[in-house]
Amino acid sequence: MDVCYQRFPKVKIREMKDDYLKFELRETDASMANALRRVMIAEVPTLAIDLVEIEVNSSVLNDEFIAHRLGLIPLTSDNAMEMRFARDCDACDGDGQCEFCSIEFTLSARCTDDQTLDVTSAELRSSDPAMCCPVDQILRSASDSGGYDGSEQRGITIVKLRRGQELRLRAIARKGIGKDHAKWSPAATVTFMYEPQIHINEDLMETLTYEQKVEWIESSPTKVLGMDPNTHQVVVLDPEAYTYDDEVIKKAEAMGKPGLVEIYAKEDSFIFTVESTGAIKAYQLVINAIDILKQKLDAVRLSEDTEESLDQFRELGAHLGGGGN
Amino acid sequence: MNAPDRYERFVVPEGTKKVSYERDTKIINAASFTIEREDHTVGNVLRMQLHRDPNVLFAGYKLPHPLQYKIIARIHTTSQSSPMQAYNQAINDLDKELNYLKEQFEAEVKKHSTTMEY
Repeated sequence: MDVCYQRFPKVKIREMKDDYLKFELRETDASMANALRRVMIAEVPTLAIDLVEIEVNSSVLNDEFIAHRLGLIPLTSDNAMEMRFARDCDACDGDGQCEFCSIEFTLSARCTDDQTLDVTSAELRSSDPAMCCPVDQILRSASDSGGYDGSEQRGITIVKLRRGQELRLRAIARKGIGKDHAKWSPAATVTFMYEPQIHINEDLMETLTYEQKVEWIESSPTKVLGMDPNTHQVVVLDPEAYTYDDEVIKKAEAMGKPGLVEIYAKEDSFIFTVESTGAIKAYQLVINAIDILKQKLDAVRLSEDTEESLDQFRELGAHLGGGGN
Repeated sequence: MNAPDRYERFVVPEGTKKVSYERDTKIINAASFTIEREDHTVGNVLRMQLHRDPNVLFAGYKLPHPLQYKIIARIHTTSQSSPMQAYNQAINDLDKELNYLKEQFEAEVKKHSTTMEY
């Protein structure tokens, strides 16, 4: 089996921040781009609170309401890929505190003032803060040097307490994937678009008056086209602002100039935008997605015992082929 | 109360094979592969890779029902190949593509993080 129909995709990163990534993916097809997108959203593991034991809850929210809110808090999950799922952890029965599959949190808050007390994710105490803690706690320690203002440092509100009300609980965070429950999804948004190619027919464009050009440029709902102030030529300012809305094409037709512009989607070039919840860094999300997709493909390989029937199959082929002669 | 466990969507039940292979009874070099607990993520990427193989005459997949967590891939090849060979080759090629993609991506990340340090 020397033949190989493999592709060699090219990648170019445009912008990279901890929770945001924009990159170009070229020389592959939409099935690969979409598989990566789907894996990033639903199959890259993170940690999230999954089991809550409430000791005291005299707040206005009921126990399950609070448990649900706790589950939705994003937790730092840099080690999630190496951790075990609680359901196949053999070091514990799946509900204890076990270093391979779970992290314990405690929360204890009581309002003693006349003022309402906001209980936030900042009050969650992790048994191993270096391994896993609410993402805003990391932001807070990082923001000592960075420029976060006070209003962004409050954490995520879980419940509000009035004087005399109390909330005390123990929570266990586990590894999971977005397919199970969206709280485990590390992706805020993952999108990709085909790279648009916009060709203006310059000869036909010459036949337009200045006013017509302005009118045509303004027919686009996004700022794709512009006018050169000196030469009064229509230029493509930002092809990627084009949303495949066909408005400029319809407008050209309405103006009696069909073929004024031709717009193609380059079907082997994609522009990806990845936004992370903060559970893992955006670039790590992409790397993890590639690894997960590889694992998935590896799992769908035919097992050894299936291989045996290959010879059988050949025999049948030879038999049928022979019978035909 | 009687809701099935959520993990049933992605955990292959004990005693069930992840992939099973069924040869077509009427056409030579045609077969169906039933892949348990997979969906469009794997199905579509596999189908498109099979289309790149000139020995593959037909490759398609279906998700029979949204509550049956399996896909069925059907492959028909020329006599130069076999569905099983084409299937294995497609997985190998995709695996190589992903390895290459990972290398490329990591190199780009490295390039970007060093230029960021100024």
